[in-house]
Amino acid sequence: MKKTYAYIISLLVLLSTGDMMAQKPAAAAAEPPDTVVFPLAIRAGIDFAGPVIYLIDKNNLTAEGYLSADLNEKRSLYFGGGYANYKYSQYNYSYRTNGMFIRAGIDFNLLKPKTSMGNYWAGVGLHYGVSVFTYEIPELSQESYWGTTTTSVPSQSHWGHFAELTPGFRAQLFGNVSLGWSLSLRKMIYSGGSKDTRPIYIPGYGLSAKTFSTGINYFIVWNFRYKKINVIIKKEPPEEPDENVAPQTNSGSGNNQKMEP
Amino acid sequence: MRSFRNLTIASILAGSFLLAYSCTPGACFDEMTAFMKTSLYRDSTGILTAPDSLSLWGVGMDTSKIYDAKKSLKQAFLPLDDSSVKCKFTIMINGVYDTLTAWYSSYPHLISKECGYTFYHDLDSVHTTNYKIVKISITKNSITNLSEENIRIYY
Repeated sequence: MKKTYAYIISLLVLLSTGDMMAQKPAAAAAEPPDTVVFPLAIRAGIDFAGPVIYLIDKNNLTAEGYLSADLNEKRSLYFGGGYANYKYSQYNYSYRTNGMFIRAGIDFNLLKPKTSMGNYWAGVGLHYGVSVFTYEIPELSQESYWGTTTTSVPSQSHWGHFAELTPGFRAQLFGNVSLGWSLSLRKMIYSGGSKDTRPIYIPGYGLSAKTFSTGINYFIVWNFRYKKINVIIKKEPPEEPDENVAPQTNSGSGNNQKMEP
Repeated sequence: MRSFRNLTIASILAGSFLLAYSCTPGACFDEMTAFMKTSLYRDSTGILTAPDSLSLWGVGMDTSKIYDAKKSLKQAFLPLDDSSVKCKFTIMINGVYDTLTAWYSSYPHLISKECGYTFYHDLDSVHTTNYKIVKISITKNSITNLSEENIRIYY
C-alpha cells in the first residue's frame, strides 16, 4: 500500500512539473541574451510524504522540512530537520524509537541558468546528518530447550551520524510555491548503541542494519526571493544554413527545384 | 528539454524502484540460538573423535533428550538456559553417565530486524564429573551464534 502511494505521488509530481516545463516563456525563446537576470531565493519546504505514509502505517511517522538559501545560481546552503517516531513488533520482540534529526550541506543546481530562471531546480545535494534519539525494547522473548525467556531493554539515548546524497527535482507550481521530490541515498557513519543492542532504526537515516539506506521525499516549497543577479551565459552560435540545401529559385512554373551538389 | 524530461522520468522510476526494494520485507535465515559448541576428543590420542554413542539432556529434562544414542557425533550443541546463570547437563558417552555444569552470564543480542533478538552468553567456568570424561577445557568463552568451538571434552 505504501509502495502504491509512493507511485501515485511520483506520477502527480511528474505530471504537474511536466506541464510547467512546457510553458516556456516566449521571450526567452526568441533570442538568447548574453546575461540573464537570475532571482536568488530563500526557500522553506515541508515534506508531505511522511504524514501521508503515517495515515497508512501508524507505526511510522516522519515529519520534516528544510530551509535553503541560494548563494548563487548554482549553489544553495541547505539546513533541514525533523522528527521521527518508529514502532515495530513481531512474534519475538517489539521495538520503539523516536528522536530528532538535522541535516546541513550544499545543494547544487545542474540546470543552466537560462533553463532554471529560479523556477526549476534539478540537481544534487550533499548533506551531513545528525540524529539524537531514544529507543527501547519493551518486550523480547526467546524460546529454547529450557523454555521461554522474556525480558526487556529500557530506554536509552544515543547519537547517530550519516552522510547523504540527494538527487532531486523541483519546479514552480504557482506564484512563490514550488513542488519537488528528492531521493536520499544515505551512508551510515556512526549508529550509536552497543554492538549487541544497536538501534534498528535511526530517525533521519532509516534502518540502521543497512550500510546504505534509501528514501524519497516530496516537498511543497515556498520561495522568498531576496535578490536578483545577472548571470553571464554562453551565447548560442547563430544557426548556419544547411549546406546540403541549395538556394531556392522561382522558375515561374511554381515548382521548387533542388540542385544537386 | 526533451532529454531533461526523459531524465526526470527515469530518475522518478529509479527512485520508485529503490523505494519498492527498500520496502520489501525480509526473512530470517540466521541461526537464532547461541549453542555452547562442545567438541569431543579421545584423551588417549588427543584427536577429535566421535564416541560410539552419545546421549545428552538437561538435568530435570529427562523426557526431552537433546541427543539420544547419537553415533558419529564429533561436536555437540548444548543450549544454555537464558534465564539462569547455571546449566546442568547429563551426558552419556558410550553408556557411562557424567554431569556437566556450566556457569555463565547472558545478554540480549540483535541478530537482525527480521530475526529479532537472541541471547549470547559469556562462559565463566565449566565443571564435570569424571566417570567417562577425563577432562574439560574452555577454548572460547564468548558463546554466540557463530560456528566457533567453546569447550572441549576429553573422554
